[in-house]
Amino acid sequence: MSNENTELNAAATASADGRYQVTKADLKKAADRYNFMACNIFNYESQMGAAVAWALAPVLRKIYKDDEEYKAALNNHFNYFNATTCMASMILGATTATEERDGIAAKDAVQSLKTSLMGPFSGVGDTIVWVLWPTIMGSIAGYMAQQGNPLGAIVWFVCNVAFWFVKRKLFEVGYTSGTKLVSELGEKLSVFTEAASIMGLSVVGALIATSVKVTTALEFQVGEVALNLQTDILDKIMPSLLPVLLTVLVYKLLGNKKWTPTKLILLLIAISLVCSFFGILAV
Amino acid sequence: MEILQDLLVLIVAGWMTIDQNGPVVMSWFGVIVGLITGLIMGDVNTGLVIGGTFQLMSLGVAALGGSSAPNYGLATIVGTFIAVRTGTGTDAAIAVGLPVGLLAIQLEVVVRIVNNFVAHKMQDYNNAGQWDKMNRIAWLGPIICSLQTILPTLLVILFGSTVVNFVLEFIPEWVTNGLSIAAGMLPVVGVGMLMRYMPVKKFLPMILIGFVLSAYLGVPVLGIAIVGFAAAFWYFTTQINKTETAVAVATDASDMGDDFDE
Repeated sequence: MSNENTELNAAATASADGRYQVTKADLKKAADRYNFMACNIFNYESQMGAAVAWALAPVLRKIYKDDEEYKAALNNHFNYFNATTCMASMILGATTATEERDGIAAKDAVQSLKTSLMGPFSGVGDTIVWVLWPTIMGSIAGYMAQQGNPLGAIVWFVCNVAFWFVKRKLFEVGYTSGTKLVSELGEKLSVFTEAASIMGLSVVGALIATSVKVTTALEFQVGEVALNLQTDILDKIMPSLLPVLLTVLVYKLLGNKKWTPTKLILLLIAISLVCSFFGILAV
Repeated sequence: MEILQDLLVLIVAGWMTIDQNGPVVMSWFGVIVGLITGLIMGDVNTGLVIGGTFQLMSLGVAALGGSSAPNYGLATIVGTFIAVRTGTGTDAAIAVGLPVGLLAIQLEVVVRIVNNFVAHKMQDYNNAGQWDKMNRIAWLGPIICSLQTILPTLLVILFGSTVVNFVLEFIPEWVTNGLSIAAGMLPVVGVGMLMRYMPVKKFLPMILIGFVLSAYLGVPVLGIAIVGFAAAFWYFTTQINKTETAVAVATDASDMGDDFDE
């Protein structure tokens, strides 16, 4: 153990001598490479690992002049990593700052920084980037598109292009604030994630009413009066009654590991076909 | 002209996956994919209607933490292509697009297994000190990824029209009706997934508020999102203040956390 430590210390002083100063252009390049490759070498073993190593390769080459150190640093980044890309940009910015300062001696610190941040950071990132934003934009743009109006789609597209530059900025923020990120954001992140979920859940409530459509075609003959189950009974109890019941059912089923989303989709298609055949449900 | 369209549709299909995995500019968001495919096929309106339909189906369906989700973007490309090329309505487009989007999940799993070899090859080159080769072979990743949408699209371009005409001739009305009913129902899967992902039990009132505003009062989604934001803002500021006073008073933080959970 002590042997290893002296080795690490020696390496640290060696790199401290002719330390490379990371430039803004280096950061931009690393951010662009990461945000392009992200999940494009995604695999079940290291997930984003290879993409991270590829993205950081040019800037790390400048930091590590020694070939063996460079190899070790890259191998460190080939390890398992997975986080929402915008949040990962911040994490990788922070690790770049650490490696610039401490060189290969920071290897373990870099690894633990990455593993400890990717969970909580992705919690916020996934909620905002993959849940809130596409759900709100998607339902607005989706209804507009169904009317033949391209405006929602265009606005969404333009925003997504702008986000590319936001991700560059986040990489820089990660670099400048460095390891302070952990202590400063750490405790606020869980509250922030919960706040984002509150907003998300209000949208989910709206989605149950607007986007889930189940209508029955059944009619009952009561004496001389024909009673339409949908308009005369269900709609009088509450609007969107059937969609609410279906949502509860699907929510319960998804709690069971055996019911994957794909199986559920196939089940719903089967139910729709059967109900269409017997005229139970209407379009 | 048709060949050029076929080629462009294939390029969009391939780029869609690379984009979804990385830049997320077009991604597999139905409306954006539909708009672009519609422009290529020369019928923006059809592209938008089909894209919008699949967009609403996909709400809430997110592939988080490395899981796989149905590819509604591919469904949009295939559906729009079929609808414009064969001149059939959107019902047929959905009937063909949906199964293709579902089947693509299997391809994604294959791609991710193959990518494992790319990742290992990269690491081998790193260990051998051949970094130019390492940087170059990485490009195999996006190329392999793009195949998961290029291959199904190519099959549809080659044989789609024949299949659709055959299908339309022999499939009874209740089946196409049934698929339209399914199209109305399927957004529930995304909603269910969202509810599983988010702390439903803790914040149940927010779902109820969103539902009542929408179902009874007809408030549009953006308005409900604003109400949601107001609640989130209030929650965030009060919770942060509580944590800060808790730290100031130096009470046990973990104790406080337990109280909030209940």
